[in-house]
Amino acid sequence: MSMTTHERLRVVDLSMGWAGPLVGAMLSEMGAEVIKIEDTRHFDWWRGSLSMGAPEEHPIERSAVFNSVNRGKLGVTLNLADPRGVEVLKRLAVTADVLIENYSVGVMERLGLSYRVLSALNPRLVMISMPSFGAEGPESDARGYGNTVEAMAGVTGLTGYHDGGQPYTLSNALGDPVGGLNGMFAVMVALHERERTGRGQWIELAQVEAAIPLMAEALLDYQLTGKIPPPHGNRHPRHAPHGIYRCAGEDNWIAVGVESEAQWRALLGVLGLERLAADPRFATAEARKRNEDALDDALSHAFASRETEEVARRLIRAGVPAGQVNSAPAVMADEQLQARGYFVPVERAIVGTHLYPGAVARFSQTPLETDRPAPLLGEHNRVVLREVLGMSDAEMEALESAGIIGTRPLG
Amino acid sequence: MRYNSLSDIRVIDLTHHIAGPYATRMLAEMGAEVIKVEPPWGEGARRRGPTRDGTGDACADRGALFAFLNTNKLGVTLDLRRARAREMLLAMLEGADLLFENFAPGTLQKLVGLSPNDILARFPRLSIVSISNFGQDGPDRDAPINDLVLFARGGWTYPVGEPTREPLTPPGSLAQYVGGLFAAIGAMQALYARNFVLGCGQHVDVSLLEATVATMIYETVGFQYSGVARVRVGKRYAVGPFLIVTLACRDGYAGLHCVTDKQFESLCEMMGRPELVSDERFRTALLRMVNNDALLAIVEPFFLEHDRMFLYREGRKRKLPLVPIPSIAEVLEWEQLKARGYFETVRDPVLGEIRIPGAPLRLSSHRPEPTRPAPLLGEHNRLIFGERFGLDGAELSRLRQAGVI
Repeated sequence: MSMTTHERLRVVDLSMGWAGPLVGAMLSEMGAEVIKIEDTRHFDWWRGSLSMGAPEEHPIERSAVFNSVNRGKLGVTLNLADPRGVEVLKRLAVTADVLIENYSVGVMERLGLSYRVLSALNPRLVMISMPSFGAEGPESDARGYGNTVEAMAGVTGLTGYHDGGQPYTLSNALGDPVGGLNGMFAVMVALHERERTGRGQWIELAQVEAAIPLMAEALLDYQLTGKIPPPHGNRHPRHAPHGIYRCAGEDNWIAVGVESEAQWRALLGVLGLERLAADPRFATAEARKRNEDALDDALSHAFASRETEEVARRLIRAGVPAGQVNSAPAVMADEQLQARGYFVPVERAIVGTHLYPGAVARFSQTPLETDRPAPLLGEHNRVVLREVLGMSDAEMEALESAGIIGTRPLG
Repeated sequence: MRYNSLSDIRVIDLTHHIAGPYATRMLAEMGAEVIKVEPPWGEGARRRGPTRDGTGDACADRGALFAFLNTNKLGVTLDLRRARAREMLLAMLEGADLLFENFAPGTLQKLVGLSPNDILARFPRLSIVSISNFGQDGPDRDAPINDLVLFARGGWTYPVGEPTREPLTPPGSLAQYVGGLFAAIGAMQALYARNFVLGCGQHVDVSLLEATVATMIYETVGFQYSGVARVRVGKRYAVGPFLIVTLACRDGYAGLHCVTDKQFESLCEMMGRPELVSDERFRTALLRMVNNDALLAIVEPFFLEHDRMFLYREGRKRKLPLVPIPSIAEVLEWEQLKARGYFETVRDPVLGEIRIPGAPLRLSSHRPEPTRPAPLLGEHNRLIFGERFGLDGAELSRLRQAGVI
């Protein structure tokens, strides 16, 4: 059963990239009807660009990331530079429960689609705007993406090796999914409140402000001690050993973090290094932390000839927190994820069937629906305009010939 | 901040450490009444850092992270090993909307004496949100784990760092927070399903490993599309038709995100090298991928010659995503956040004044109230057990002496 069986939610999703579209995708997992709006000239930039392949190969339909976070949506194109396109959008917004946008600050206002205008037409509308650094403030004009948001939240400055060198960007553009998850939470809160008050509201979610709470520990550490915490790399500020060690084969690594005496003994047992227990350099937790370089040398030597998966299994069985450093194919083969059926196969036109991340929250009664594909550009123009707005074929043809709607990318 | 959007929601919170308390913190920030239930000796995070003396662990009532993660909550104590405490917990579940727990799978049943299904049968309006490392089932359900291993196994670590060195873990406990976000959303979805579809609550099972993997779509889905797994490429974010890179400047580091043709034009113009736009090596995104090293060799010296804030300002003028990579101290003093009143000063009864991150969302229909500090251990025993459940002073002292509360 879907979560929205009786009262189907309708969502108009104007957002692009990852953070905004994730909100729409999560609502569609609940069974909401999510109408994704693009423009044939300015389609979602996460589709990539037309220059990425020959036109007959449909390069903009081959984006792994676009096809992931737009699953379950209906695809509609509207030229919002034309007042007729804006008019159609307004008509859709009047019927909608939620509207999502992550344009740069000021764009919705310029299009005549501010919350003030839309809420006058539809007081029950919940609208969320997701500017990177906020809708106001001296630097609200700065352009943000997942990586730059992550940097400004203080994450990048703390991502570095323990022995110095430069900061690194994470590979998942953390600011994006964290912004999207906060956006989804906010929309659910506003929908909940709407039942009590009868009114929707405007949510402003600055993505950088959503990411900063994840750094609370470092922010508080600095305030209390007056010292700026340095990057710890793979090490732990207090515990040792705590690191990533090379195993046998090409680029295979294991992560091991020991936080108790029992785990230390168990680690030595699995690696056949019991003799180290008596070594004065490693006799106590404090000594191990003090002599961490020597400790890491000894462990690196011991792991170098081990097979990653096998030694990880043995460590886990012995009670030591340990695991392979999984590359993408290894993540997909992870036994625990497979046993719980985490990845779901989805078939989509042009690209075929792939495995996509499934539901993280598993509901005992109303499971999330994650197995519907992302739309092709303008795939549902006619369905949506006919069924939602009751447009006639003649009206839709007029919009098509005026270039307001279309299925051919012109970017 | 504290909004009142969820003022009709009551949460019984049995969670500890980070992921669970962060999830219930989000609900409390939006106005839900969250009653944090701890054992009489306090949950583990109370004794975790940061502390003023920088020692990290071992503080009497609370470390600063606990003080942040538990704002706006009420605190009671119950030793659930005792029958009387279990009765009192069940009494609290009467009329509650959500029960949060992040014990090792199976522990809730042992503690309360009822399985999740039994609890749901007894309290039909209630939903249970369970957060665990690996989920409530599967072969590794009970495996030991910590943040380092969670990042590694979930795929975050492998593609970060130098190709010639060990992969580099992300800092702190980021994945715990991501798991908490999924749990907070799951709770709201369960309420939605109860109110509009089911009429009753349900069990929500959130795995931190799955939450971690959920953010890795470039890697997992991208790998299937391209057949190429992402690897470590040092200062560059990834190999692709773009220049997303962390660059040394005169006074630190800056992050550049140059993807579109327009952004590339802005970059060239900012460097005073407009001719590069029509350079045969860089004309298209694909060419910029093929000739990425050559491009980087031009960009790097320019950045090295300039200060971070100069580059940030020049980037903003040209709509080029380019940021000065701040330290934690600089985040706290960032003008943009100050202008928006983002950080909030809370007077904590143990730590004194601390500045904590504010609510990331602003609601048009509300003027939020100031944050209430995290509860002292058992601070609201009298309020909840006395005033709400009608236990008198004598009964409360008896329970305290018996170690029930």
